[in-house]
Amino acid sequence: MNVLASGSFWAFVAVVAGIYTILALGLQLQFGFAGLLNFGQVAFMAIGAYTMAILVVKEGWSMWLAAPLGVIAAGVGGALLGVTTLRLRADYFAIVTIVFSEIIRYVATNENNLTGGSQGTIALGKVGTASQYNGEWASFQTRVQHALGFSSSDATMLVLVWGVAIVLLTLTWLAVRTPWGRVLRSIRDDEDAAASLGKNVLAYKLQALALGAALGGVAGLFYAWEFSFFSPTDFEPLLTFFAWMILLLGGVGRVFAVPVGALVFGLIFAGTRFLNFAPFSWFASDERAYLRLIIIGAIILLLVVLRPQGLLGKKREMVLE
Amino acid sequence: MSALLEVEDVVRTFGGVRAVDGASFGVERNSITALIGPNGAGKSTLFAIIAGSLRPDTGKVLFDEHRIDRKSAYRVARAGVVRTYQSARVLTRMTVLENLLLASFGHPGERLTGIALRPRAARERDRVLHRQARELLALVGLESYEREYAGTLSGGQRKLLDLVRVLMLRPSLVLLDEPMAGVSPTLRVQLLEHILAMRRDRGITFLIVEHDLDFVMQAADRVVVMNQGRVLAAGSPDEIRANEDVVDAYLGKRH
Repeated sequence: MNVLASGSFWAFVAVVAGIYTILALGLQLQFGFAGLLNFGQVAFMAIGAYTMAILVVKEGWSMWLAAPLGVIAAGVGGALLGVTTLRLRADYFAIVTIVFSEIIRYVATNENNLTGGSQGTIALGKVGTASQYNGEWASFQTRVQHALGFSSSDATMLVLVWGVAIVLLTLTWLAVRTPWGRVLRSIRDDEDAAASLGKNVLAYKLQALALGAALGGVAGLFYAWEFSFFSPTDFEPLLTFFAWMILLLGGVGRVFAVPVGALVFGLIFAGTRFLNFAPFSWFASDERAYLRLIIIGAIILLLVVLRPQGLLGKKREMVLE
Repeated sequence: MSALLEVEDVVRTFGGVRAVDGASFGVERNSITALIGPNGAGKSTLFAIIAGSLRPDTGKVLFDEHRIDRKSAYRVARAGVVRTYQSARVLTRMTVLENLLLASFGHPGERLTGIALRPRAARERDRVLHRQARELLALVGLESYEREYAGTLSGGQRKLLDLVRVLMLRPSLVLLDEPMAGVSPTLRVQLLEHILAMRRDRGITFLIVEHDLDFVMQAADRVVVMNQGRVLAAGSPDEIRANEDVVDAYLGKRH
């Protein structure tokens, strides 16, 4: 049980929660404010991470240029997905988004020359060399660590991820309080009524989709930096649903419910790792991994029954017609 | 001067059904024109076509001499043609005040670029909107509800909110879809008064789909009768009342 007492383990949990916060913030903007059911959020994470890694390794770009371009690529990806599919009814749109995310993952798995294929980013460069996209980030992180006087690189990453997360949360919070955010909420409520008030519904949905996708791209960058290596299996649909769980846990339609949901989810997800006593010890450790998901599912079910608005959601908004 | 709204030979089919089958009529400026007809006559389809939420297969819709039949709903609204829905479509999970604040065109704060580049203009516009919204809420006696979710309002209150929300947009032509459906006698009088005042004080023209013939005869100065996708008759309420074709269409041939 001494892992539980290790600071670096909990720093890792917090870093992952920060990445999930940014990922789920995109969903909050899209679903919580514009009413868009995006079940393919992980694709934008993949687009952000791969764009950055490919530009750094194959094109020799500076990471500081490649990273913003990764975010832009994710946003453009969201806009393209929206242009082609937003005219679909909500539930069909949701199905297309999950298909889109699987297409991105399959392309990443099979386009060996572009992405390194199933071997992941290590195979991005020439055959026989182990490619690295992380050099510039690692030295930046070290500099920050010295500047902060920290002894642990995990703590440094924690500060960086949450610093960016807090900036993005604040910007989103400010944006949804403007008349622009008001229009988004009107579309969530009744898009026909919004159109008859002169609102260009499609344009607003595209903006929400593109911005939410760009946030997914930012999450992808931090994911890539935190793990120094990734492959297509890191972007399975399950990750999108983790982000959805965070949204439901925290509460829909409230920006600062997202970090709360992410931290609670992170604690549950990490905490269930230590269920190694009876009766859990009757299972092999790989089976216990699935048990964790079952327990998380049960907690979500309980939450939906007992507190459908999430931890911080607005209950009144759930019952109004 | 030509009519404010002109519908010319509009046809719209759904599969094999010709819902609107060559309808033509005009709505005069500053009139209250009622569109009536038995169920399935094509009134609602025609309404949706005028408002831009459906495209006609053939035919034209002209508003102020400009074609609007190829414009999407939000562009038709911005041109000055604003519709309401049969069940007042208020935004239930937004406050009463927010419902009204949304009703404005070209608000700089509704664009991300406007928020970033013209924050002062955006704030100023919102201040003006707040003032207008509060005036209108007072007009219909909803001022004490401004912070409530619109979803907590009664059906009648929603109708009133819907009506003043239309006013916020300063429209030239208002399309009302069965405004009297499910309305209490008191509210009925109130709504009629508001409609007449809106025409008198703001020069608004109305096109109203309505089944309540008493209301139609009382309020409208012109009545257009549709049957089977076509215009069967058009004229003053008295002319329509005397028209045998209309009576036949409503009650069947051998009444």
